[in-house]
Amino acid sequence: MLIQIRNLTKIYKVDSIETPALRGINLDIERGEFLTIAGPSGSGKTSLLNIIGGLDTLTSGAVLYENTDITKISISRLASFRLKQIGFVFQAYNLINTLTAVENVEYVMLLQGVDVKTRRQRAVSMLERVGLGEYIKRFPNEMSGGQQQRVAVARAIAAHPKVVLADEPTANLDSKSGEALIGLMRQLNEEKNITFIFSTHDKMVMDKAKRQVFIRDGEIQK
Amino acid sequence: MFTFIKIALRNIIRNKRRSLITVSAVGFGLGALIFIWSFVDGAHIQMIENYTSLLTGHIQIHSRGFNQREQLEINISNPQEIINIIEDESPLVEASPRIKAFGLISSPEYSSGIIILGVDPLQEIKVSSLHKRLKSGEFLDEAESNEIVIGESLARNLNVSLGDKVVIMSQAFDGSIAAGAYYVKGVLDTGAEEIDKSVVLIAYDAAQELFVMPDRASEIVLRLENVENSPAEALKFRQLLSGKGLEVLPWQEISPILKQWIEFDNGFIWIIVMVVMIVVAIGILNTVLMGVLERTREFGILLSIGTRRRQIITTVAWESLFLGVIGSLIGLCIGYFLSVYFGTAGIDLSVFTQALSSFYMEAVIYPRLSLGHLLTSMALVLFTSIIVSVYPAWHAANLKPVEAIRSI
Ligand SMILES: Nc1ncnc2c1ncn2[C@@H]1O[C@H](COP(=O)(O)OP(=O)(O)OP(=O)(O)O)[C@@H](O)[C@H]1O
Ligand SMILES: [Mg+2]
Repeated sequence: MLIQIRNLTKIYKVDSIETPALRGINLDIERGEFLTIAGPSGSGKTSLLNIIGGLDTLTSGAVLYENTDITKISISRLASFRLKQIGFVFQAYNLINTLTAVENVEYVMLLQGVDVKTRRQRAVSMLERVGLGEYIKRFPNEMSGGQQQRVAVARAIAAHPKVVLADEPTANLDSKSGEALIGLMRQLNEEKNITFIFSTHDKMVMDKAKRQVFIRDGEIQK
Repeated sequence: MFTFIKIALRNIIRNKRRSLITVSAVGFGLGALIFIWSFVDGAHIQMIENYTSLLTGHIQIHSRGFNQREQLEINISNPQEIINIIEDESPLVEASPRIKAFGLISSPEYSSGIIILGVDPLQEIKVSSLHKRLKSGEFLDEAESNEIVIGESLARNLNVSLGDKVVIMSQAFDGSIAAGAYYVKGVLDTGAEEIDKSVVLIAYDAAQELFVMPDRASEIVLRLENVENSPAEALKFRQLLSGKGLEVLPWQEISPILKQWIEFDNGFIWIIVMVVMIVVAIGILNTVLMGVLERTREFGILLSIGTRRRQIITTVAWESLFLGVIGSLIGLCIGYFLSVYFGTAGIDLSVFTQALSSFYMEAVIYPRLSLGHLLTSMALVLFTSIIVSVYPAWHAANLKPVEAIRSI
C-alpha cells in the first residue's frame, strides 16, 4: 500500500473558534491509482490534500507512506520528502513568473540535484509530451490558463514523483481545457504508473477518475 | 545557485519602474557621498598645504626635546650633515635650517617681545611661502646680514616702515648678550595674526653670528613632494637618523590643533555617511519588501515544491545585492566624474566664504578623489544593501506554504 490515512482529523482554530474540517478520515491508496476526491465547497478537500502532501499539520491521526508516518518527521525532512516523492499542481498560478516554461519544469529537478543536461532534456521532452513543444521559451504571463496548468503538470511529472497531488487543477479552466488536462493526467498515469490524487467539485471531471472518493463535512461518504 | 540569481535579476527587471527609482536613489546618495568626501578632502589638503607651507613645513627635525621646550640650548650641531643624509636618501625633498629664539625688538619709540627666526634665504623659499606673503619691500638676501623682515602688525606697533632701523636684544647660546641693529627690508602680511605681530626674519648666517652658534640650527624644515606622505616620510627619516639624538616630527605632531580640527571635520563626514546609508537602506528595503509581499503566493509555491528556506533567503538577498551593486555603479560614476571634473575646474565659493577666507583657506576648492574613501563609501553601500535584505528574506523564508498559497 502506497498511502494509508488513519483516523485523520483536522480542526482549524482561529481566535478560539474551532472549525472541524476533517472528522476521522480513513483511506488507503495504492500505487498507480487515478483517484479523485470530490465534494462540495467547504467539505474539506483542500485540507485533506494539504495534509497528504505534507504541507499542513493535522490534529490527530496518521498519514503513512509505505509505512512511514510523515506527520512525525521534522520540517526539513518533510521538505525533502516533498521534493523527492510528491508533485504538486495547484488550482492556478502554479508557476514562477520570472522563469520560462522550460525553466519552471527544470526547477524541481534543479532542487533535486539533477545535472543541467539531463534536466533540460527531460524538461523539453515533458513539455513536448504535454503538447507545449512550441512554448518552452514562453513566460507564464504569455500563456493561457490551460497551458500554464499543463506546464505545472509537466513540472510535477518530470521530477519523477511517486504521487501527484492536484487540488482542483481544472477549477480556473473552461470545461474543454479542464477535460483535456484531466485526459492528459490520465494518460501520464497509465504511461508512467504515477499515482494521481486530484480534487474537484465538477461532475464531468470526477467521472474521468478511475476511483472516486466523496467527502462531505469532513467525512468520507460510503 | 544560478537559477536563484536569475530569478532575482528578472524580478528586478520586471519591476522596472520601482527598481529604477531605487537604484537612482542609491546612485545619487553614493555619488553625493563620494563627491562631498572628495570636496572635504580637497579642502583639507589645501588647508594643510597652505598652513604647512606658511611656516611649519611638512616635517621638522630638532634636537630631542625642542618641540616641548623651545630653547636655544636644544639645538642641532652640524645641520648640513643631516641635510646631506636626507637629500641623499630623497633627492626631491627640500630642506632648510633655521635658528629660532625669543627676544625683544625695539624701535626708537616702542619695543615688543618677538620670535626671531634665522632663515637661509635661498633654502627658505623652497620650504615655506613667507617670501610670497610680503606686503611691501623684499625678502631677505643672503649677502646682507643686517636686514630684517617683520610682520605688518609688528611694524605698526613699532611705528616703523621700510628702511627704518630696529634693534634686537636676546641671549646668545653661550649666555652672553645678543644684540644687533637691522634695517627693515620687507613687511609680511601672512593673514595669521600670531605671525604678523611676533615673528621677525633675519639671515641664517647673521643669526649664527648673533647667537654665537656657528654650524648649529634649532630646526631643519623639510618640504616633501606630497604633504599627504608626511607621517610615513617622518617615520622613514626617523629611522634613517636614529642614534643622533634627534626628533623627526610630521606637521600633525607640530600642530596638533590643525590635526584635531581636520579629524573633527572627518567625524562630520561620518554623519553624512550615516545619512546616505539610511537613504540606501530605506530605498532598498522598500523595494525588496514590496517585491516579497507581492510574491507571497509564489514563495508559497516555491516552498511547497521543496525549495529550502536558505534558498529563498539567497534569492531575496541576491535581489537586494543587485540593486545595491547597480546603484553603486551609478553612484561611482556620478561621484567619480563630479570629483574629477571639479578637481580640475575647482569650485568657487567666494560668494559664500568672504568671512571664512584666510591664510589657510581659499575661495576656490579643488575636490580630491581618494581611492580609499571611494572604496569605503561603496563598501558601506553594498554592506547596507545586504543587511537590509535580512528582514524581507527572513519573512519570505518563514511563510507557511499553505497560507502563502491561499493569498493572491
Ligand atoms: N485556514 C483556515 N482557517 C480556518 N478555517 C479553515 C481554514 N481553511 C479551511 N477552513 C475551513 O475548513 C473547512 C474545510 O475547508 P477546505 O478548504 O478544506 O474545503 P474545500 O473542500 O477545499 O472547499 P473549496 O471547494 O471551497 O475549496 C471549511 O469550513 C473552511 O472554512
Ligand atoms: Mg479547496
